[in-house]
Amino acid sequence: MNLLESLRLSWRSIRGHKLRSALTTLGIVIGIAAVIAFVTLGASLQAGIVGDISPDDQRNIYGWAADPDTEGGPLAGAQPVVSGDDLESIEGLEAVDAAYGYAPIQSQAVSSGDEQVAQGDGVIATGPSYVREDTLREGRQFEPGEREAVLNPAAAGQFEENVSVGDEITITILGGQQATAEVVGITDSNEGLSPFEGFEASPRIYVPTDPYYVEQAGAAGLGDEGPGGTGGSEDVGDGAGEDAAEADDADQAAQAQADGGDARFIAVVVEAPSADEDDVDAAREAAVDYLESDDSDASEFLGEELAMTFQTSAELLQQLEDVLDLLQNFIVGIAAISLLVGSIGIANIMLVSVTERTREIGIMKAVGAQNRDVLGLFLAEAVILGVVGAVLGTALGLAAGYLGAWYIDLPLVYPLEYVALAIAVGVLVGILSGLYPAWRAARTDPIDALRYE
Amino acid sequence: MTRPGAETEVNGATAVSLEDVRKTYQLGEPVHALDGVDLEIPRGSYTAIMGPSGSGKSTLMNLVGCLDTPTEGAVVVDGSNVATLSDRERTTLRGSTVGFVFQTFNLMPRLTALENVALPQLFQGVGRDERRERARDLLERVGLGDRIDHVPNELSGGQRQRVALARALVNDPALVLADEPTGNLDTGTEAEVLDLFGEFHDAGTTLVVVTHERHVAERAERIIHLLDGKIERIEELGSAGEPDEPADGGREER
Repeated sequence: MNLLESLRLSWRSIRGHKLRSALTTLGIVIGIAAVIAFVTLGASLQAGIVGDISPDDQRNIYGWAADPDTEGGPLAGAQPVVSGDDLESIEGLEAVDAAYGYAPIQSQAVSSGDEQVAQGDGVIATGPSYVREDTLREGRQFEPGEREAVLNPAAAGQFEENVSVGDEITITILGGQQATAEVVGITDSNEGLSPFEGFEASPRIYVPTDPYYVEQAGAAGLGDEGPGGTGGSEDVGDGAGEDAAEADDADQAAQAQADGGDARFIAVVVEAPSADEDDVDAAREAAVDYLESDDSDASEFLGEELAMTFQTSAELLQQLEDVLDLLQNFIVGIAAISLLVGSIGIANIMLVSVTERTREIGIMKAVGAQNRDVLGLFLAEAVILGVVGAVLGTALGLAAGYLGAWYIDLPLVYPLEYVALAIAVGVLVGILSGLYPAWRAARTDPIDALRYE
Repeated sequence: MTRPGAETEVNGATAVSLEDVRKTYQLGEPVHALDGVDLEIPRGSYTAIMGPSGSGKSTLMNLVGCLDTPTEGAVVVDGSNVATLSDRERTTLRGSTVGFVFQTFNLMPRLTALENVALPQLFQGVGRDERRERARDLLERVGLGDRIDHVPNELSGGQRQRVALARALVNDPALVLADEPTGNLDTGTEAEVLDLFGEFHDAGTTLVVVTHERHVAERAERIIHLLDGKIERIEELGSAGEPDEPADGGREER
């Protein structure tokens, strides 16, 4: 008897017990669906994150100084230690293409013309190449030392009349200082440009560290005091200097500009010449070596309590992916238990079925069915249950994964190899759980079976 | 009696021959279900086997039907000695040379009449189309041409037994073994089914009917009377269908 005939005959038996068969496959359906749904979600999440790292970003190394024991993502426990002079020296290193500071500016509002909108974060002082040219929809990068800004579409669009290249905006900094900037570029995406910002979409304004951060740091007294005064996170602008800053605005600004090289940054970005791993490692090593040497301003703070961390986007995201993988493994583990329970269910129902159909087995043997024919029939039945469960579970899992990815707004990635794996698991579960019942059926003695009531 | 070919009557061949067959079951103490049986069933013959409960009828039927092997002696079915065959070879022989008709019909409940009739050929590896065509022919011959797609539950007892007979004949067997084929049928249907047996016998089918009803046995050409695992006597009835003198507690309803 060939395989097709076995499958056809077994399918008839399964259809003879619709409810029972459906309930039997349910365990498999749930197990497979859980795996597929979470694998789909995980793959989509990964694709969403990795997709945010552009090839150009891959040569950027993000660094900050923090207690080596601090756990957490980028900037966790970061202290402002790297000075403007340090950055200049790093940029001068052979292995480094560019180096610049990164500092969020504590702002209150942004205005364009007569219109003012509240904006508490998302004003970022950084180097010109932080906004990469290929991410600019229009305009150009800002120039260091100029009062220029690059906006992302969300920031440009929050005014009634969209801000465009050439317009002037005024940024009100926490404490009331006002700084003007000419818009010179608009980016093409609302998502963050680096792991420092996070990747969520929100209005963002990018400005040069000089003059904007240098002014503020000077006003807050950071230039001279280093990390002592601030809480360590992004609260660069707070502290005792605010009132004074308001009073002697121009004075402070002048002083800050003069001392620009002393402003300390809580975060730095070092650009390697290329995204090549060796180049990135060389740039990282050169920067760390310099900062830890006595030549640097930062070295006075670095030591047991504070150490520099330099990581690429990919490395930073690796941590996230590790957590994701862990979660995924956990769920796959639970699903495996569900599959085990499911296969026990199949084995159980097959044993019942064999007993129930003893007489049928006897009839088949009387009319010439070999042991292997009977074995094949019952095995086929178990495999059909397993495969049907796997197929339904896969469909359900993909649908759930699709819904989840759509809900969290992720690019949908179907892990096709897992679909193939799910079907294989279905077959395997069917065979394993059907083997013993089928063997019992096959060795049924036809004389006893025909007498069986 | 000796090996095949010795005392042949019809078609010049022997369908089944038994030579000093013994079958012993170990149920605490040995029970001799068959105790030295010699029997020859010629091709094209119509034989009835009668006997009280425990006389060895079932055991004899299992041996002739290649379902079981003797403890001693030789059972030769269609030229092959069942005792020397492996389980698998015995199954193959059974599938191709023996057709079964049971008292309780024993049809597959979820298969249609057509599929039931085609089932033995499924295990012979016959192609689907050929199988169905053969099954349809046979169902028409037993008068169920209009019932081929009905499942057993939708058929009357007589119709079920006719499906079973069609199934028994589908592989062109060397003999058809019927075990109380009319035990579950009313008198009218019984007559119909027995008439059908007669028709197939006339067409050349070798029939062995196990029964304990005299009037059923009387349809055969000869009656083998079993008692305590031995052949008590063989009653020759001449041509099939003609009743002989009543004996052995046969029912006389007809």
